[in-house]
Amino acid sequence: MDYLKHREVCEKLAAEYVLGTLRGPAARRFARLARDHATIRLMIQEWEARLGPLAAPIPERAPPASLWNRIAASIGASAGAPARNPGLWASLAFWRSLGMLGSAVAVALLAVLVLRPPEKVEIQVPVEVVRLLPPKNEIPPSYLAVLEDPKTHQPVMLAIAGRNSDQLFIKTVYERPIPSNRDLELWALPDGAKPRSLGVIGAGDRPKLKLAGNADADLGNIPMLAVSLEPKGGSPTGGPTGPVLYTGRCLKLW
Amino acid sequence: MLKNLLGACGQGDREAFHRLYRETSPKLFGVALRIVRREDWAEDIVQESYVSIWKHAGDYRTQLSAPLTWMTSIVRNRCLDWLRRPNLELAEDDEHPLDAMAGDLAGPLEQLQASTEAQALANCLGRLEARMRQAIALAFFDGLSHSELADHMREPLGTVKTWVRRGLERLKTCLGT
Repeated sequence: MDYLKHREVCEKLAAEYVLGTLRGPAARRFARLARDHATIRLMIQEWEARLGPLAAPIPERAPPASLWNRIAASIGASAGAPARNPGLWASLAFWRSLGMLGSAVAVALLAVLVLRPPEKVEIQVPVEVVRLLPPKNEIPPSYLAVLEDPKTHQPVMLAIAGRNSDQLFIKTVYERPIPSNRDLELWALPDGAKPRSLGVIGAGDRPKLKLAGNADADLGNIPMLAVSLEPKGGSPTGGPTGPVLYTGRCLKLW
Repeated sequence: MLKNLLGACGQGDREAFHRLYRETSPKLFGVALRIVRREDWAEDIVQESYVSIWKHAGDYRTQLSAPLTWMTSIVRNRCLDWLRRPNLELAEDDEHPLDAMAGDLAGPLEQLQASTEAQALANCLGRLEARMRQAIALAFFDGLSHSELADHMREPLGTVKTWVRRGLERLKTCLGT
């Protein structure tokens, strides 16, 4: 639906977004609309102004003194201005959704960020993630690819696999809907050879792909992964037929 | 004054941020506590909220609402997200906050009248049908979703959705903004 053509609907959605009764995927879609459209942001702000005073009678309570220390630590030692548009990496929602994957993955991704070539990405590591240390007997995944939109560097999906496992998990961190008559297909891009399909990415929050061998065999010397838009059911030719939407380095962490 | 502090935060002034915190944290902590009802959760939420406020203070210029309203919205949104986390850990004898509704709405709604900044809103709320007002208040103060409202108020889902929608429409008309 073209939201902007339906101003009244947007108004109603903005009201419920601010009140809190718009939740889940619908709320996330609306939040994305707001990011891209100033008109929607304005509607949200107007409703915040209307309903905001409801909070007036809520009694105040001084938080514990230690809370300020934690906040000061979280914003880091830099005295400079915070990043204006920190993007997904610094978004707490992203880190929290990672946290749902399991602490091991969160730590693995932290390792990736340290290993990546230097970029001007200011990352505020939330205390919540630092607290998520893997228990001693949990093995972090070996293979990790962050699939991002090459034009905007917006991270869109994570692909994760354990060395000896034949399962590759995909986690969508930024929803991008595709036409219903299309599928996304994941490709391994070996150096100097043709792309090899790793499978069609199914629907759902955490689809998984079954590798032909284990991850060491299938991903061991693959420097990059890519995601292309294919007809439903995947490419009929064995190679990508549609546009490549996302790419990412495939990292072997250990 | 808060506007100036926020502006300074946008320039990276940590001292201003500390002052902002001292001025506003009792209110924001109070709001979080009201919705999630657990101190440890409220602390985490407020901590995350202030980090977000620090990061986005530079954008505040473009906001229409008062600084505290903007900051309160940030806290409220995090509270509502928090309550819906799938891995919300509860101690064995803890009730989920969404179940532990004391139904103590009379307090907030009455006090609204007494608060000067909320006069117009209080009047407009007062004009709504009681059930409509209750649905909106439950959503705001306790973070209930449509289906939770339906359960709590023992009404069909369609009914509560209509109450919320119409209630909000009427508030908008009444407030004339």
